[in-house]
Amino acid sequence: MTRQRVEPSVIAVERGPSRRRSRGPLAAVATIVLLLTLLPLARPLIGQPYNYVLQIGMVGLMWIALASSWNIIGGFAGYISLGHNVFYGIGGYASGLLLLYFDWSPLLTWPIAGLLAVICGFLVGLVTLRTRGPAFIISTVALLLMVALLFDNWEFVGASNGLSLPLPPFSIETVKIPFYYAMLLIAVGSVYLSYRVAHSKFGLALRAIAQDETKAEVGGIDTRKMKVTAFSISAFFVGAAGAVWGYSLTYLRPAIFFSIAIAAEMVLMAIIGGRGTVAGPVVGAILLVTLNEISVSQFGSTELNIVVTGVIMLVVLLFFPMGVVGTLRERGKLPSILDWD
Amino acid sequence: MALLELQEVTSGYAFGPDILQSVSLTVDEGRAYCIIGPNGAGKSTVLKTVAGLLRPREGQVLLDGTSIGGLRPDLVLAAGICYVPQDRSLFPDMTVKENLVMGGFLQPDRKVVSERIEQIFDMFPILRSRAGQHAGTMSGGEQQMLALGRALMTQPRMMMIDEPSLGLAPQVADQIFETIASLRQMGITLLLVEQNVLRGLEATQDAFLLDLGTLRLEAPSDRILDDPRIRELYLGRQLQRGTEAETREN
Amino acid sequence: MSEVAQVMILGLLQGGVYALMASGLTLMFGVMRIVNLAHGVFIIAACYVAYFLFVGPGWDPFASLLVTIPLFFLLGMVIYRSLFPRIEGSQRFSEMTVLLTFGIALVVEGFLSYFFTGTFRSTNPPYTTDAILIGDLFIPTAQLYASMTSLILLLALWGFLFLTRTGYAVRATMQNRTAAQIVGVNVRRISTIAFAIGMALAGASGSLISFLYPFFPNSHWRWIAILLALIVLGGLGSLKGAVVGALMLAVAAAFVSDMFGATWAPITFFGALFLVLLIRPQGLFGREARV
Repeated sequence: MTRQRVEPSVIAVERGPSRRRSRGPLAAVATIVLLLTLLPLARPLIGQPYNYVLQIGMVGLMWIALASSWNIIGGFAGYISLGHNVFYGIGGYASGLLLLYFDWSPLLTWPIAGLLAVICGFLVGLVTLRTRGPAFIISTVALLLMVALLFDNWEFVGASNGLSLPLPPFSIETVKIPFYYAMLLIAVGSVYLSYRVAHSKFGLALRAIAQDETKAEVGGIDTRKMKVTAFSISAFFVGAAGAVWGYSLTYLRPAIFFSIAIAAEMVLMAIIGGRGTVAGPVVGAILLVTLNEISVSQFGSTELNIVVTGVIMLVVLLFFPMGVVGTLRERGKLPSILDWD
Repeated sequence: MALLELQEVTSGYAFGPDILQSVSLTVDEGRAYCIIGPNGAGKSTVLKTVAGLLRPREGQVLLDGTSIGGLRPDLVLAAGICYVPQDRSLFPDMTVKENLVMGGFLQPDRKVVSERIEQIFDMFPILRSRAGQHAGTMSGGEQQMLALGRALMTQPRMMMIDEPSLGLAPQVADQIFETIASLRQMGITLLLVEQNVLRGLEATQDAFLLDLGTLRLEAPSDRILDDPRIRELYLGRQLQRGTEAETREN
Repeated sequence: MSEVAQVMILGLLQGGVYALMASGLTLMFGVMRIVNLAHGVFIIAACYVAYFLFVGPGWDPFASLLVTIPLFFLLGMVIYRSLFPRIEGSQRFSEMTVLLTFGIALVVEGFLSYFFTGTFRSTNPPYTTDAILIGDLFIPTAQLYASMTSLILLLALWGFLFLTRTGYAVRATMQNRTAAQIVGVNVRRISTIAFAIGMALAGASGSLISFLYPFFPNSHWRWIAILLALIVLGGLGSLKGAVVGALMLAVAAAFVSDMFGATWAPITFFGALFLVLLIRPQGLFGREARV
């Protein structure tokens, strides 16, 4: 028996950006985005659970943004960051402080939060990306715990009690709508970014790094520059999502943003969907958010929720390391609607 | 009689494509063989598959008629086949002596191990003088001698040596090939992979020519050296390069 | 002056226990290239074993070593055999192990929180409040006992690695896996043993820290981050590095804690980690391209 399993990144390189793109998926994606845009207008159709639907929609969109962004460094470049929610927190606190001190709404300042996250990503990347493989992962874990410790004890941002934000100036019926649209914009932006990266020379360089960094280096790729760039831009929408999420909660606390469970979810979504593919993190995010909803309503406890997350992680890694999109593609069964690479 | 036999062996690295495709070859006891062929032909893959480092996906590997394909490396070694890889695979942080002790890992009797180490030291006096030195700090030639010496610690019936002269200066490579000649005299069956085709063929009796994972030719080494057609057809440039290298070296 | 000596002593006593925890982690990486993100959660799980032996049958935490060490050794064998052979041979094996052990950590943490809730616990044998006074130097008895025990266990580990045949095989596998295979080492067996020993060290550490540091299920992240920082500092896979790094940094952390308060002590490890990454990415005792 010939048992051939190819790493996700390998396939990705084989189907490089030069491949002709069909218009099918584009039209389908455009339709989905249009439907998502129209969703808040469908209040009469949704009826009672209107706010719940928008809330779930927002959460789903947020995770799509987080997982897709993580995928740029963790999937395409193969550098697994377990500390990416540092940028999530930085974004949340940055916009929160702008709101508190200048009265600028996070619904407008999230690009600033994203940019600040990029700057932080650049600086952090310069240091952590000096290492490869496990040492890099470890340095991101250390980064996360260090930043968590800082925020836990930094009086200016309220230490472990965090900061309370003023309530958004909207009525209870409409409050979810602006948040939903902001997250929709962020999610679409992050998927578009991921798509553009995947179909660029830059993306090809990242995949080369993921396959064999030494060879990529010998082949004339400035790997350090590529990695640091990937790491920084992958921080943008994470920071932006943090800004909007923090405001929607109306309070900021280190435990919300800097928990390693957030990083776990990001990684898990990208892996379940298919690391190194554009559609993968989106599929993974939708699957996991749905599953979390079900498991919370079934078990009620967050403890068993963690167990479920962990078990899924183990099962996927051991049996479907290429994720949904990767596995389907390998078997030639990937519906064209998900073929975004 | 046939010591080692590969029957239609297909093999490759974990999660990778097939490198060898249905390779069959026979190695007789007491003879010396060389595997030649271009880069990526699968020469090292043959050795690794026999050594048990790779598991054959199809086909049989037989030692004295019993299947050893897919057996763990330590069991293959215990059966008498020992492998010296291209990178020599020494224990860099262990001393020369400790490396030899590890060579005798399968021999539980410490006294026997010490005796064998003495024999190796007699064979390679340079190793005796370096006994306390860390293997990682030695020169390429010394490392290759240590690798051969460590392999001999297992008292193998057959040795598979991958690129013994790789990265060595010509005089040092000469020394290594003298050692290989003496291994033949000790009655050890040899299977070499050598990038310097001329050297490899001169040191052996028979040769297998591999290309793209399949066996293209099996012939006595001197015939390949002498037959202009084979040289033209299969080795043309490679042999020339080898010859040039030889002339440059001399 | 005596205050400096005092802080040094406290740091060294802590460092002994850190060294024990880190050595199991670095052993796993050294032999199998496994980065075990679940090491911390197993330490905490062992804390619970020690805790329930203490509050139940009233066992002293040191007596619980007799349970935690063999229990976690066996657990290690089972976990290694059931999970890791499946991903063996995949390129980027180490990264795979990080994710896999991340999953394990979440599962164990989830179960611990489900059964034992998030409350802080610790064993409190009578000597936890005792101290020995030498001149004006203050030596907490519990810390002293724990680090002495760590020292004994580390010596036993050293003896195993340098004096026994299996230990030689473990070291050989650490230095060059292929080389070990071709001299006849059954690396699968050695890997299982090494993983099990690493787990046994986690178990032992759990017994020891159960009375030194209060624990709750989620607290393992703090430990694993510190331990990972330690082993990167020492050079991944280097036992000597792990021990020296643990002692040095525990002393440094003791000074930081003395000057700025205990909250900031963990910053020492992370700060040192980033500093070392800037200057010497392969760690203090690591070799280039060892990863």
